[in-house]
Amino acid sequence: GRRKRARARHKPCELRELEVSVSELGLGYESDETVLFRYCSGTCEAAVRSYDLSLKSMRSRRKIRKEKIRARPCCRPLAYDDDVSFLDTYNRYYTVNELSAKECGCV
Amino acid sequence: YPLPCTGMDPATTSKSNHCLDAAKACNLNDNCKRLRSGYISTCSRELSATEPCSRRKCHKALRQFFDRVPGEFTFRLLFCSCRDPACAERRRQTIVPSCSYEDKEKPNCLDLRGACRADHLCRSRLADFHTNCQATFQSMTNCPGDNFQACLGSYAGLIGFDITPNYVDASTTSITISPWCSCKGSGNMEEECEKFLRDFTENPCLRNAIQAFGNGTDVNLAPKI
Repeated sequence: GRRKRARARHKPCELRELEVSVSELGLGYESDETVLFRYCSGTCEAAVRSYDLSLKSMRSRRKIRKEKIRARPCCRPLAYDDDVSFLDTYNRYYTVNELSAKECGCV
Repeated sequence: YPLPCTGMDPATTSKSNHCLDAAKACNLNDNCKRLRSGYISTCSRELSATEPCSRRKCHKALRQFFDRVPGEFTFRLLFCSCRDPACAERRRQTIVPSCSYEDKEKPNCLDLRGACRADHLCRSRLADFHTNCQATFQSMTNCPGDNFQACLGSYAGLIGFDITPNYVDASTTSITISPWCSCKGSGNMEEECEKFLRDFTENPCLRNAIQAFGNGTDVNLAPKI
C-alpha cells in the first residue's frame, strides 16, 4: 500500500527548478535579485543495486549493527551549476558557487 | 505616455525596479548568468590590501560579457530606467565601478584618449562612439539617422577599455555619463579637452538614447515622429 502510493505520487529522480530571491536562499545574503535554483527531486526505486540488497541482508543478519548505513540510493546532484553573482541591498557584490544542481542521479 | 510594467504600482516600487528586473532576466538565462558572474567575480576579487582587484582581468571579463551576451540583456542592465536612488545606484554598479572605473586619481581626458588610441581596438570603438553618438541638431532625437541602437551599442562597446564610461552618480532626475578623467592640467589644449569630455557629459544624443531605451519608447521611433 505505502510503496504503491509513494510511486504514484513521486516521479523518478530528476532536475527541477524554482525562481527564488537571493534572500530566500537562507545563506545570510540580503538581496532582491532573483536566481534560478535547480534541485534534485524524485524517487530512486528503480536504481536499487545489488549493493543495496546485500547491505540490507547484512543488516538483517546482524553482521552490521552499530554503523550508520544507507541501503537505498538517493536522489542527489551529480554536478553543480556555474557560479552565480548578485548585488545585495548594501550594494556589495557576492559570488556563490555550487548553489544549484546541474545534473541529478541516484547515488 | 507608455511606461513599461511594474514601476507604476506603489506597493512594489520599493522592491521592484527595472534594473532589478534586468538582473532577473540575466540570471534566468544561462549564458548571461555565466558571463555576468564571470566579470562580477573577477572585478570584485580582492588581491591584497594595496590592490583591490586586477583591473586588467576585470576589463577583459567585462569585454567578454558585452561582446558575447545579446543586447536584449546587456542594454537592459546598463540603461534601465529608475525612479528611486536604490535603482539608480544598482544601475551605476552594473560595471563594478570600484574596479573597472574609479581610480585614486583622475587622469587628464586627453591623456586617457591617447592611451585608448594606442590600442587599435579601443581606438576603433572610440571612433564608432563618436560616429554613432555624435549629437546632431537636424533631427528630433539628436542622433545620426535617429539610430538610438547604434549609439547605445557603441557606448557599451567602450566598456572594458581605458576609456570605460559610467554614470557619475545615482541621480534619478538627470543622467550624467563620463569616463574617469578631468580636464585639469590641459594647458593650451583645454578647449579640445572640454570638447572631448562633453561628448560624454553633455551629449543630447546619448542622453536621449538612454532615456528612450529606459522608457521603452525607442522601438519604431521614426514613424511616431
